[in-house]
Amino acid sequence: MAVEALKIIREGEEEGRKLLDEAQASVANIQNDAEGEIKRLKEQAREDEQSSASEISAKYVQEGKQEEAAIVKTAEEEANALKAATESNLDSTVNVVLERILGVR
Amino acid sequence: MGAKEMVERIKDEASEERERIISEAKENANKKVEEARAELERQKKLFVDAEERKGAEEKDRIIRAARQNARKLRWTAEEEMIEKALEAALGRMKGVKSEGFKGTSYPEILAGLIKESALSIATGSSAGEDVEVLLSEEDAAASYVDPAMLTNVTTEISHDSGVEVQLSLSDERVNSAGGVIVRRKDGKIEVNNTFEQRMTRLSTSLREEIVKTLFTGK
Repeated sequence: MAVEALKIIREGEEEGRKLLDEAQASVANIQNDAEGEIKRLKEQAREDEQSSASEISAKYVQEGKQEEAAIVKTAEEEANALKAATESNLDSTVNVVLERILGVR
Repeated sequence: MGAKEMVERIKDEASEERERIISEAKENANKKVEEARAELERQKKLFVDAEERKGAEEKDRIIRAARQNARKLRWTAEEEMIEKALEAALGRMKGVKSEGFKGTSYPEILAGLIKESALSIATGSSAGEDVEVLLSEEDAAASYVDPAMLTNVTTEISHDSGVEVQLSLSDERVNSAGGVIVRRKDGKIEVNNTFEQRMTRLSTSLREEIVKTLFTGK
């Protein structure tokens, strides 16, 4: 009778150990899953960084190019206006040059 | 307590322990993932900030370069106009020989240049200076300067400055579009008043006057 009882208790203990072993296996899986998730998050972050770096750079370059175009356009207009305005002073300027070179005032 | 009851108790305790272990593992795993996520978010923010700064710097660089190009464009336009004025002046200089300038004939212009040159050689000298006038082949052939003119210039110099000079025409020719070279006969002092040399010598002040007249009309 006592032997039978001991056998039942050993079997119960064995089952209990199995449950704990299963728990340890689950823990390992949970840890692996977490590590996997962290790895995935890091990879995603790297991809996000690359794409956001491109987007940010493109945004500022576009803004810069827009301002550049406006600056160049204004400068070209000013240069043309300057040429047109000075055209009327060309004769008097030529006279100034000749006065100095020829020594005639 | 019977054996079966003991077994049940062992199983219950093992189950509870299993649940506790798994629950704790899940909690730790979630915590690790959340910490990693938070760290990645923090790094992302730093990264984006750095990229924004880099982007803004690039934008500033583009704008600075554009402003520099704009200044260059304006400067080029100014240079073009200055060059145009100088070219036009050189072009008109050819006509000066036949038409004169502002009512002054070319021989009178040469006389003025000879006088100015001779004065700068003779000024400060107590003895009379013997100086000669060198002309271009073209001007010599056209006889723009003759002995009578040199006598007049000599008289003018003497009258105006009290300086005595003896002027004569040299047989030597200069390679020039116009103007004169006047030098002491011993060759020790020479004043080059050819148009090319005057233009070079006067370039700085001439440029200032061109800019003033061309761009302000004064």
